[in-house]
Amino acid sequence: MPTAVNNWQTDQKAGNGKQPKPEYKSAFRILKSYINPHRKTFTLVTICTIIAIASELFQPYLVKIAIDDNLMAGKNDYSSLIVICAIYLGLSISSLFFTYLQNNLLQDAGQSIVSRIRKQLFEHITRLSMSYFDKTSSGSLITHVSSDTEAVNQFFNQVLLTLLRDGLTLISILVMMFYLDTTLGLYCLLLLPIIALIAIGFRSFMRTTYQMARTRLSRLVAFVAENLAGMSLIQVFHQQKAQGELYKERNEDYFKANVREIRTAVTFNRTFDLLGNLTIAFVVWTGGKAVLGDTMEFGVLYAFITYIRQFFQPINAITQQWNTLQSATVAVNRIWGILDVEPEIKDAAKPVKINHDAIKGRVDFNRISFSYGNGTPIFRGLDLHINPGEMVGIVGTTGAGKSSLMSLLCRFYDVNEGSVQIDGNDVRHIPQAELHRIVGLVQQEPYLYAGSIIDNVRMFDESISREDVVRACEFVGADQLVSRMAEGYDTRLSEKGSGLSAGERQLISFARIIVFRPKILILDEATANLDSQTEQLIQRALQVVSEGRTTIVIAHRLSTIMQADRIIVLSHGSIVESGTHAELIELQGVYEELYRHSQGEAAAASEAESANESAAAPEAHTIR
Amino acid sequence: MKSEGVLKPYFKQTWHIYLASVTLHAAASIIFAYFPKVLGDFTDKLKSGQLGSHDVVHFSVVLVLIGAGYALLGGYGQYLVMYVGRLFEYMTRRRLFTHFSGLSEHYYSKNGVGKMLNYFMNDVTGVRESISMGINQTAMATMLLISCVGAMILSDIPLYLIAASVGPLIFIPWIVIKIGPVIRQRSRKVQEALGTMTESAEEQFGGVRVTKKFAVESIMIKRFSSKVDQIKTNQLSLVRISSLFQAIVPFLGNLSLIVSLAYGGYLTIKGDITLGNFVALTLYVRMLMNPLQQIGNVINTVQRSRASLQRLNELIAVQPDIVEADNARTVNLASSPIRLSDLTFTYPDAPQPALKHINLAIQPGMTLGIVGRTGSGKTTLVKQLLRVYEPPVQSIQIGNTDIREVTLESLRSQIAYVPQDGFLFSTTVGENIAFGRRKAGQGEIHSAARQARIYDNITEFPEGFETRLGERGVTLSGGQRQRTSLARGFIMQAPLMILDDSVSAVDAVTESEIVHTIQQERQGKTTIIIAHRLSALKHADLIIVLDEGKIVQRGKHDQLLAEPGPYAELHAIQEEGSQYADGR
Repeated sequence: MPTAVNNWQTDQKAGNGKQPKPEYKSAFRILKSYINPHRKTFTLVTICTIIAIASELFQPYLVKIAIDDNLMAGKNDYSSLIVICAIYLGLSISSLFFTYLQNNLLQDAGQSIVSRIRKQLFEHITRLSMSYFDKTSSGSLITHVSSDTEAVNQFFNQVLLTLLRDGLTLISILVMMFYLDTTLGLYCLLLLPIIALIAIGFRSFMRTTYQMARTRLSRLVAFVAENLAGMSLIQVFHQQKAQGELYKERNEDYFKANVREIRTAVTFNRTFDLLGNLTIAFVVWTGGKAVLGDTMEFGVLYAFITYIRQFFQPINAITQQWNTLQSATVAVNRIWGILDVEPEIKDAAKPVKINHDAIKGRVDFNRISFSYGNGTPIFRGLDLHINPGEMVGIVGTTGAGKSSLMSLLCRFYDVNEGSVQIDGNDVRHIPQAELHRIVGLVQQEPYLYAGSIIDNVRMFDESISREDVVRACEFVGADQLVSRMAEGYDTRLSEKGSGLSAGERQLISFARIIVFRPKILILDEATANLDSQTEQLIQRALQVVSEGRTTIVIAHRLSTIMQADRIIVLSHGSIVESGTHAELIELQGVYEELYRHSQGEAAAASEAESANESAAAPEAHTIR
Repeated sequence: MKSEGVLKPYFKQTWHIYLASVTLHAAASIIFAYFPKVLGDFTDKLKSGQLGSHDVVHFSVVLVLIGAGYALLGGYGQYLVMYVGRLFEYMTRRRLFTHFSGLSEHYYSKNGVGKMLNYFMNDVTGVRESISMGINQTAMATMLLISCVGAMILSDIPLYLIAASVGPLIFIPWIVIKIGPVIRQRSRKVQEALGTMTESAEEQFGGVRVTKKFAVESIMIKRFSSKVDQIKTNQLSLVRISSLFQAIVPFLGNLSLIVSLAYGGYLTIKGDITLGNFVALTLYVRMLMNPLQQIGNVINTVQRSRASLQRLNELIAVQPDIVEADNARTVNLASSPIRLSDLTFTYPDAPQPALKHINLAIQPGMTLGIVGRTGSGKTTLVKQLLRVYEPPVQSIQIGNTDIREVTLESLRSQIAYVPQDGFLFSTTVGENIAFGRRKAGQGEIHSAARQARIYDNITEFPEGFETRLGERGVTLSGGQRQRTSLARGFIMQAPLMILDDSVSAVDAVTESEIVHTIQQERQGKTTIIIAHRLSALKHADLIIVLDEGKIVQRGKHDQLLAEPGPYAELHAIQEEGSQYADGR
């Protein structure tokens, strides 16, 4: 049931406290640029609308003619009555047809525009730099793509239709009134400012109550969702009662907000009703006197009464669209806020041409300095050179800069000083798409897509043949796992790869590497979270994959990197030790201490010291 | 299975509000039905030339009174029925939450959170729409219909004229019922397409690093575009039917007016009815269009919410699996040993038992280590002690009491459970730590945080222990979450602590410090540790090795190393890397 969850997620976003003030002008200007290509359609829609509202509009007038020229005058000419009915029938049929046409035309144009915005937004976001994704939660991006564009959709779906149809109706009614009787028409025109005043007064009040209810609803839903997710914990800690009390508070808050909202809405609607009826009474009074004084025909009075009743319908419809209009405006501005974001990392104007197959895989970090934004520097003049085909292990406590180093190599970020080079080419001069194919990355949590195993390995790139994928899976030892599945390589995986264990998922991500043949391979904690048996399986696959590639392995668990050609120990952004496992153990330094810890010797003597160290290394990335 | 369902207790409590609301609606409708009649009388008087200027004032005042009476009475009736609908939501959600709190893990594992949330939100709202707006509109529409037809009959408009004029209008509810479900079905398709698109966006933004790393952005964009196109197709198919509907309903209204114009006009010319009646008739026909459309809508809403109501009633009827025995007793875990005798446990609906013939005695004060590969039954075993699932009778004894006869309160409040996933609530860090002991002071919270090695991280947050977690607050790393969850366990100072692979995401240095703290803190108190890394279990008084639900080895660390078996093998794997390196 995706919609249910989506709704409350949307609500949650909407209830995010302060709503940005809608900037109607810029929003309309933006939408206009999208409407322009569809100008012809919109013109047609307007024409259709005018024809469509004609029958509604002329009905009172036709009855007026029937009354004044016929029934009241006592002419009793039935044939002219038939003519009037025939005209009315004709108008009704044309209205039926044109209403249908107008709706379809408008939606066709509207949907084309919304589709275009959705695709454009998605494409834009996808092309932004990694730094943007590190700063922005994926939840809010999803909201932009799904809810915000849906708000724009509603603008075309409802708001525009209402504005066109009811706006035109309103104007036409006024015109008809003036045509029938100028004085009475003027009186009715006086109504407009009164209605406007009431509407504005209520509207701001309604908006606050509406928003209050939404905020409280999202709080309620978030609370329930979280408590349901953590119910086993609540039960194990025997906290049902305490949580129930917290729930009661939120439920009551929401109920109160609801009642307030209802009260406001009912009062608003009834005030309108009352105003409508008062106006009719007023028209009867002034019009009645005029009819008595023979300055007005009775049919005109009849038409006026009917028009007044019609008059309030479009006004009501338009005010009901107010909230939608507002959220659409906010959404449009938000969407354009994102479209205005420039990727921080851009390809060089004249990128170097790289022959993928000729890459040897030498990596140089030349005296690099780097910090995230204006934060404390992660690296100050770090120097590291990795030979083609070498396997380098990197260890260090959280926050030592292991992952930052890799982000620089992938050019997710740019260095502040110094340079990162691959085979002597600065990564800033290599096109990003090319660079990302040269450097492969396997993460701790392998990410799988909703699709078959084949597509997951080849990343939906159909230029890679099925045979290549099968061969890659056999190569890393994933074929056994695949053969156990019901539909073999065509088994569909879900987003989180359910049905596969962590190790099996990791095997699939290794197969990806084989298929895409990167020259440099980074394993970022790729074997954490696995039990020892699975880890062994992965170790074997790793050996196969790292063959002939420059491989950089980041690990908490030393067992993963003990076989590396060289182990680098990072601390606070600089290299403190470097050498093979045996050399570093002999050195009796940081690495040796880590090793002892991993062997489970609770080093009581060095405890105080290492506690200080872990305190000094804040887990900076995880705090957003 | 005795359950009153959702509606019965609600109506018992609120019937008088409904009665008041319907009465108000009836009064309002009757008043409003006079409206065309007054204008008709006005017309007749005018035509016959009997109208004086004070009559004009009189008619205007009557119209004002009708308008005011209708707005006030009808408005209050509407308010009452909407209020009572929200009251339904409030009451039902309160009941559901309490009900959810009582349901066991078995139910939760069968029904995802999304599904339960759907009950909680959409089904409750669906039923509310029926019993609030549904009743409101039905009441309003029928009352108006009855009053209008009644008024027309009373005002000497002949019956056959009324029938002919209202005739086309009768098709309105019919069309609503016919087309309504088609519209709903197509609009569900649109919603589904939207959901698919959202899922696609979720997938893409969640895995953007992977997409970027393989430089397949354009392929992903193509994938997403196809989802967007599907929405457009579905939406346009919805519009084709919904705009037909929107066009046809007013058309039927117009037909009605044409009939009354032609036929009524003819009768007026013939002198069978007065001009006033003719005027009133056209006004009545206009008044009836809306209520008739609403009746159709209500029928559709009720149909939709019947399914919701049924789901809610079934949910309320679910009985919790774990129920406290009537004569439940309290136990003292600090002094009573826990005995598992021949415990065999099968998850409901599972073909194989998860635990087989477990015999184990846990003496007060001992440290028990549990080892085994994923799926070997480690977590299942410790959850038996919490009575999350119902163990067979006589298989778990605490002291001399069967676990099924112990009060849940006394059992669970004496156990500090630290699960692997480190689930935290989006409250402050401090509140999360004090979750099991809400009255704990700042000092206790701080010391628990120190024991779990999370204190330094927390104090670095801008608001320290007051920092909010979750969506709108700070996001903790996996290791930080686990350590906070550990602090939540420490603060309980419970006689029994269960650590279910609680430090798997913590780095080696911190892990060994924590293991050391546990050793010190839990001196003399019962502790059960599940771990992958054998290093965390070296000090345990007893280690059991589980495989496929059976205890395959038991003993102390050194003992187990000495004998050939899975424990020694596991140890070898974990040490292998170093041997490999040493051998070079």
